[in-house]
Amino acid sequence: MADRIFSGLLLLVSIGYGVMAFTVIKAPFQYDPLGPESWPRILSVVSALCCLGLLARPDTERLDLTGKTSTRLVVLLVLLAAYAALFEPLGFVIATLLFCAVLARILGATMGHAMIFGVATGILGFGVGAMILELNLPAGPLRALM
Amino acid sequence: MTDVLSGLEAGFAVALLPLNLALVMGGCFVGTLIGALPGIGPINGVAILLPIAYGLGLPPESALILLAGIYYGAEYGGRISSILLNVPGDAGAVMTTLDGNPMAKRGEAGRALSLSAVASFCGGTAAVILMTLFGPLLASFAVKFNPSNYVALMVFAFASLASLVGKNPIKTLLGAVIGLMLATIGIDANTGVARYDFGVPDLLAGIDFLVVVIGLFGMAELIHLVEQQVTGKFTILPIGKSFVSMADLMATKWTILRSSLIGFFIGVLPGTGASVASAVAYGTEKRLASDGDTFGTGNPKGLAAPEAANNAAAGGAMVPMLTLGIPGSGTTAILLGALLLFNVTPGPMMFQTRPEIAWGLIASMYIGNVALLVINLPLVGLFARMLTIPQRYLIPLIAVLAFIGVYSVVGNPFDLFMIIGLGIFGWVLRKLHFSLAPIILGFVLGGLFEDNLRRALSISGGDWSILVADANSLVLYTLALLVVAVPLVLSRRKRMALDTEA
Repeated sequence: MADRIFSGLLLLVSIGYGVMAFTVIKAPFQYDPLGPESWPRILSVVSALCCLGLLARPDTERLDLTGKTSTRLVVLLVLLAAYAALFEPLGFVIATLLFCAVLARILGATMGHAMIFGVATGILGFGVGAMILELNLPAGPLRALM
Repeated sequence: MTDVLSGLEAGFAVALLPLNLALVMGGCFVGTLIGALPGIGPINGVAILLPIAYGLGLPPESALILLAGIYYGAEYGGRISSILLNVPGDAGAVMTTLDGNPMAKRGEAGRALSLSAVASFCGGTAAVILMTLFGPLLASFAVKFNPSNYVALMVFAFASLASLVGKNPIKTLLGAVIGLMLATIGIDANTGVARYDFGVPDLLAGIDFLVVVIGLFGMAELIHLVEQQVTGKFTILPIGKSFVSMADLMATKWTILRSSLIGFFIGVLPGTGASVASAVAYGTEKRLASDGDTFGTGNPKGLAAPEAANNAAAGGAMVPMLTLGIPGSGTTAILLGALLLFNVTPGPMMFQTRPEIAWGLIASMYIGNVALLVINLPLVGLFARMLTIPQRYLIPLIAVLAFIGVYSVVGNPFDLFMIIGLGIFGWVLRKLHFSLAPIILGFVLGGLFEDNLRRALSISGGDWSILVADANSLVLYTLALLVVAVPLVLSRRKRMALDTEA
């Protein structure tokens, strides 16, 4: 079932991809026999055929997810999205501190350990990443302190 | 032969520069640490660390030396969690658990770890030697390849991928096509026409290779780890004082040699890496050994075979990457993408135009293998401690590394969301038993495949028969047919034999 749903969705994507290749993509003028649309056309056909094959002979029935695991995964994704959203506004140190502390706590660390871990990762990560390795990391509001 | 020697000499001149020497040592060390982490294999390790290595501003040959060190270092370190924990870091290390873990359970963990270190060293070194001999030869042959030959080569690569990787060929092929389709997003280089950008300016330049790699491998792995996280502790077996003896080495020397050769040649086949190689080597040795029935209960030969093979395959997989520009495994696809980030196009010309990269890498691998053996024998206890890092700290760290990597190189918060999205996609694919390596191969090769096809047809003025017009292409198509047909015939024959027995 899981395979069928997935390949069905992917079939729709392939068809959409193919429709665009056959109608929308067009070079204003071209000298070569194959333009920008030819390759996507081939791919859309191959991928649609693969999806049909998978629809006919699926082999994965279920995703085997329990309710508890799904909740954890949703929480993880929310945290990751929040981390991504706050990465620039709050700066690396604070965003990382919050993210690491909360995630470690959720994954089973004690409150105290999670806090120490978050603070250490935020500060050490910035120290090693931005200062020693000179990578580009957002300083955020802490810029004033540096 | 003199070419090879002078090439090696030039290569060692590059590899022995203090910076590169430090990078190969550091890469091997970090690689072993990562490989030893339960559940994280070479491909995820290289994926997570790639942008950081890129962000360091190293010259291309140094960055490649570092990444390759991480790659075969992780291939090396994978045995530690396989043996002590019975948790393989990736598919290539699964076979190592079969005999390695029973040996550790018998209290011979030290013997198993040191024997597998020696086997890995032999496999890795044999692969570099074969690479030194055959690489330039293959490159000089491939220099004459025309665009239609490249199309044929690509077809061969995807054919061997579909037939040898994963359980379901349709899924492997579909994975490769997904990769090829992702590669078409963005402006078409030949005509300047935007494709599939949906008006999003962030997509005009195409999806960044780093974003795809980190998303599909790093983030998907992260989601997978959270899903799998077990609250109960693994039992880590003690290493003990036992050590590999001369008699062990004598008993396994032919096994190691055969498995190294098998591993190398399977590694060279495009698309097939360590997992296929170690499985084939294990199967072969089990059949050849007089005590084959003790395989799986802690037979040293059953441990040496997959370890020699998967390290040899890691080296073998570099050969098509360096000489043809076609990666031999998922991880080398990432290395190839890394070279493209530096505007270096790997291929047959690289031995002539950028010898410092091709030969420098090869020379660094000689050094790296020795370094790995030296740091692995005495320091195995230190690496084994990596196993005790609790997942609750490891998982957030992976996310932080991935974010640092993507942000520091691409510098665009949009891409942080992109890796999360690709991570979910990759995780779903994993749940559906797709292997992810074909996707990254498709993504890396997409541009090359399309360009060569278009160039070939421009040469012929639109006549498709040019694709089968010369001997090279025909040989490659024949090989592609064989690689698809032979396993099918073999499995059918096996099933028939089983039927008649029953």
